[in-house]
Amino acid sequence: MRKTVPVVTAFVTGVIVTISFFFNEHTTLIGKVQGGILQWVTIIFGLALALGMVSITRVNFNKIKRKQEGWFYSVLVIVSVFVMAIPSALPVSWSPMFGRNEGSLYYWLWTRISEPMMATMFAMLAFYIASAAYRAFRARSTESTLLLLTAVIVMLSRIPMGEWFLRLFNESLPDWVNIYIMNGFNLSVQRGIIVGAALGAASMSLRIILGIERTYMGKG
Amino acid sequence: MNVWERLAAIDRRWIYLACGIAVLMPFIIPVSLPVYTTPEVQGVYDAVKNLPDSSVVMLTYDYYPSTLAETEPMSRAALHHLFSKDCKIVTISNIPLGGPTIAERVTRELAAQYGKEYGTDYVNLGYKANYVAVMKGLGSSIRSIFPADNSGTPLGQLPLMQEVDSYEDIDFIFIVADNATADYWVSIVNAQYGVPMCCGATAVMAPKMYAFMGSGQLKGLLGGMKGAAEYEQLIGHKDRAVRGMDAQSLIHLLIIGLVVLGNLGYFMGRREKGIGR
Repeated sequence: MRKTVPVVTAFVTGVIVTISFFFNEHTTLIGKVQGGILQWVTIIFGLALALGMVSITRVNFNKIKRKQEGWFYSVLVIVSVFVMAIPSALPVSWSPMFGRNEGSLYYWLWTRISEPMMATMFAMLAFYIASAAYRAFRARSTESTLLLLTAVIVMLSRIPMGEWFLRLFNESLPDWVNIYIMNGFNLSVQRGIIVGAALGAASMSLRIILGIERTYMGKG
Repeated sequence: MNVWERLAAIDRRWIYLACGIAVLMPFIIPVSLPVYTTPEVQGVYDAVKNLPDSSVVMLTYDYYPSTLAETEPMSRAALHHLFSKDCKIVTISNIPLGGPTIAERVTRELAAQYGKEYGTDYVNLGYKANYVAVMKGLGSSIRSIFPADNSGTPLGQLPLMQEVDSYEDIDFIFIVADNATADYWVSIVNAQYGVPMCCGATAVMAPKMYAFMGSGQLKGLLGGMKGAAEYEQLIGHKDRAVRGMDAQSLIHLLIIGLVVLGNLGYFMGRREKGIGR
């Protein structure tokens, strides 16, 4: 029963969603059933998020209870999760501080703490990339030399100063970079990767629908 | 340690300092070199320009706050262009971490500049989990996936959403994304429902999007801050992206310079030691 029900559910839903691609979604029964299934998927994923909140609370609460190393950070995690989540879930009609709109506690915390912190963390990458490029980007072989030269040309073509510099050699040089590198080599390789990934996804989906792949049940 | 060895082993703190100066310098001494328009950005501009006035456009905020420097200027420029054409805008986010809040903040600010009213001229649907199911589900019925907007108002109470209930009612999709959702907008919504679309993507993601440009599924592409700067220039609203190009220029030049220095030190050092002869 524990194996059969998930396999049958995966088969039935997979087949319906696949077949409904060929039918009108508004007028046919299969199209309407597909609409219902998709609604269910978003509901189940919403519940999974709530489950995640329970899990993060339990893991961090246990850490605090046992006074494990870094327990203070767990306190911060729990406080942050609840201070952000609870007021945002409460109706605005109770207080202008609730909800997610402008003026709410959630909005204030988000725009003044979360947004700048995340942007700062990401901006710091520029420093590490500069240092890493200096240390690791060596023309040690033909392949790495090609990669290095391409990177330098593309980087130059992506900035006004570089574009201006490239145009000193030939007025059409930045356009050639766009045509031959981005719309030539890059496009063909990306297309190959996308087609390969799509074939992989299709075969994996078939394996799940036919019950061959069962790792989603937590077993190999 | 000879000069070449020193050149190949600059302390990282000097590199960090140089990066900091390169980022800050343009704010003190702006250079403002002209930005040339690429065909991909021209494609975005033309696609929006050729939309009939008052078209319904879905604008996605599929990005995290970490990439705001690149993506927010794209959203702002798109809103300037769309509101100036009196387009009706439905915003949506497939990113729980910030997407709906960024949509709320940016759209309201720009809408106020154009005197647009919430519910009639634009609506923020917010976020729903699992973007693949959401994108597919919107093809059947927007109201079944989003019974209410981001602030909890039932869609039936919003005049704009009484006319819009699936992709059939949407004339164009303007994707702004920093992650894989852009691929799914193309492969699910464009391929299956035929909705025309363009994409604004971070510079890291942009190379992949060229494949969709080549197949004709995307009408245009804004690649990173440079793409946003080109678009700002085209619509006549030079803003954050154009300002940011100076800092980006200096950082790119610094990285190129460091790579050249590193290689010079490496090869000259090897030559002096007689390695590789």
